[in-house]
Amino acid sequence: MAGVAMATVCGTAACGSGGDSAGDGGDGTIKIAQVQDQTGPVAYAGLGASEGAELAIEEIEEQGFLGDDVKIELEKYDTAGEIERASSEMNKAMADRDVDAVLGPVSTQQAATVAPLVGRSKVPTIFTQAGGEGVVVNDYTFRVTPPMESYYASVMDFLEEEGVKTASVLYNATFPTFALLGEDDVPAMAEERGIEIVQSLPVQMTTQDFSGQAQQVAKEGADALVMLLIAPQSVTALGQLNDAGYDGQVVATSVQAAGNIEAAGDNANGLVYPVPFSVAMEDKESDAFTKAFQKKFDKEPDPYAADGYDAVWWIARAVEASGDSSREGIRKGLEEIAGDGFTGAMGDLTFDGNDARIDGVLVRWQNGKETLLK
Amino acid sequence: MQDLLNAATLGSIYLLFALGMALVWGTIGILNFAHGATFMFSAFVGHMVSKETELPFLGVIGISVLVGAVISSLTQLLAFQPILKRSKSQHAAEMRILIGGIGVAAIPLALAQRETRSSPFGFNSSYKSEVFEVFGLRLTTTSAIIIVAGLAIGIGLTVWLRRSRQGLALRAIGVDAETSAGMGVNRPLLAFSTMAVAGGLAGLAGALLTFHLGAIAPETGDQLVIKAFAIIVLGGLGSMLGTVIGAYVLAGAETFVLVMNWGTWVDAVSFGLIFLILLARPQGLLGRKEVRRT
Repeated sequence: MAGVAMATVCGTAACGSGGDSAGDGGDGTIKIAQVQDQTGPVAYAGLGASEGAELAIEEIEEQGFLGDDVKIELEKYDTAGEIERASSEMNKAMADRDVDAVLGPVSTQQAATVAPLVGRSKVPTIFTQAGGEGVVVNDYTFRVTPPMESYYASVMDFLEEEGVKTASVLYNATFPTFALLGEDDVPAMAEERGIEIVQSLPVQMTTQDFSGQAQQVAKEGADALVMLLIAPQSVTALGQLNDAGYDGQVVATSVQAAGNIEAAGDNANGLVYPVPFSVAMEDKESDAFTKAFQKKFDKEPDPYAADGYDAVWWIARAVEASGDSSREGIRKGLEEIAGDGFTGAMGDLTFDGNDARIDGVLVRWQNGKETLLK
Repeated sequence: MQDLLNAATLGSIYLLFALGMALVWGTIGILNFAHGATFMFSAFVGHMVSKETELPFLGVIGISVLVGAVISSLTQLLAFQPILKRSKSQHAAEMRILIGGIGVAAIPLALAQRETRSSPFGFNSSYKSEVFEVFGLRLTTTSAIIIVAGLAIGIGLTVWLRRSRQGLALRAIGVDAETSAGMGVNRPLLAFSTMAVAGGLAGLAGALLTFHLGAIAPETGDQLVIKAFAIIVLGGLGSMLGTVIGAYVLAGAETFVLVMNWGTWVDAVSFGLIFLILLARPQGLLGRKEVRRT
């Protein structure tokens, strides 16, 4: 099969460029542009995805998955946390006729802005993270990270199993994913499980001090708190909840993964959250990814690295499936692979159209480490 | 009462941060937009050192204050002073200094973002905040320290500026830099010292806020700069007492909004309140009616 892929990649290259075959990597090289934050407030997501992508490329080339002479080049464009810059960098990347596919911005605001441009430029783009609406909007937009609400039910199941009857919700209402979860999905899922939401406290992206909210949560004394906050906010909120005397179960989101909650120290012990990937995952592919990542980078991978890794492998599988490394060939291949699903670092990926779905796993943070709950 | 206590803590945090900015803006006329980065990077250095060895509370404070003072002094020497020298007047320099400050701020921000991957960072310290209850009110030791430090330094600076010879000289620069220089005030030296003190205050605020919040992010200072800017304008440029009052007014308004559970309206309500006050009193709560710089 690899030989066939090799032949098709070279064959496409031999077809020359122009028309729909633009970006076919005429020299047997498949060029992927990574247009994601390498600096700025969500740099951890872009940098993690870069590492995952680099590992995937190394494996694909070592295995000769697309043929022995086929190389994959990763070119990074930094969006630096800015929507305008994401837009201009995407335009720059898509204007490069050698670019065959793009890894799109990680934040929903950036991704939703560039998604229509992707449709117009007809460059297959896989978004990682960017879990909000308005991202997967045309035939050229794909997403490898499942939206948080699609696997958040496991948290609510956990609360039900723990006998939780009442819950408070503390959420960042200016972060689209959390606003959706906090205002719609969590209340609906709680109602289905007989859990009463007794308190709902929205905060802004700029909120830094949670003393007031923590005391309100402690005063209400619900059995559990659903905490939907960005990384620095979570660290502060957990400390101040402890200071306020709140001792209920706190559940959070995958934002707390990747060691982002480590700065909270003992205050984070017992925190439960769902993740699309964790180093605690034991299935064969996830474990192999973790070990390979540790070997290459001498550290544990985070969920963002798993995103980048699965995204690049999806592209490689797409080229192999369509036998065509042009932009249009990759788009068709991505659709075909999405139709069948595949197993990656995040486990078994299925797709709703071009949008990934997984079961996710539930982890508990205890003494600086994630342990698998289920 | 608990809400008042929360407002006092939040106001003291804002005050500690805003004092340094207010001092340099209200006296030597420098609106230092690098103040947030100085604040953050002071705490970041404390974080880096404490990763190597556990530090006591005063150790972290000492490192952060020292780093803040050094960064701020270097900013004055390498950025603001040359801009001032090359500008025809203080007025012409103001915009360049503002942009220069934003440029300077980008360097420590990028360094911290690169090192931490923009993840939150805190201190590895032997100090652990404790909670105590007085008449049913819960207060942490860190909150108590912040309230006392904020009020003490705020009032101390106000008194110092009003009563001391150096304070008088500084205020004279704020009113008329050229005339005060003609009267024997050593402007460059005073400006350098003021920037060092402001940097030290930023470092103190950075360390205390990091202890209070558990951790901060590289971008935390950027958000506080806007609030400090609003506090100084609200209180009245040139009035340290105005800054003290402005900090607590803003914190009070924000706490009220939170108590009402209008969490997403915090900035809209608090900045709207500032807007309304400025419509009624453009010079700010305690600002001079007319300040003319030449």
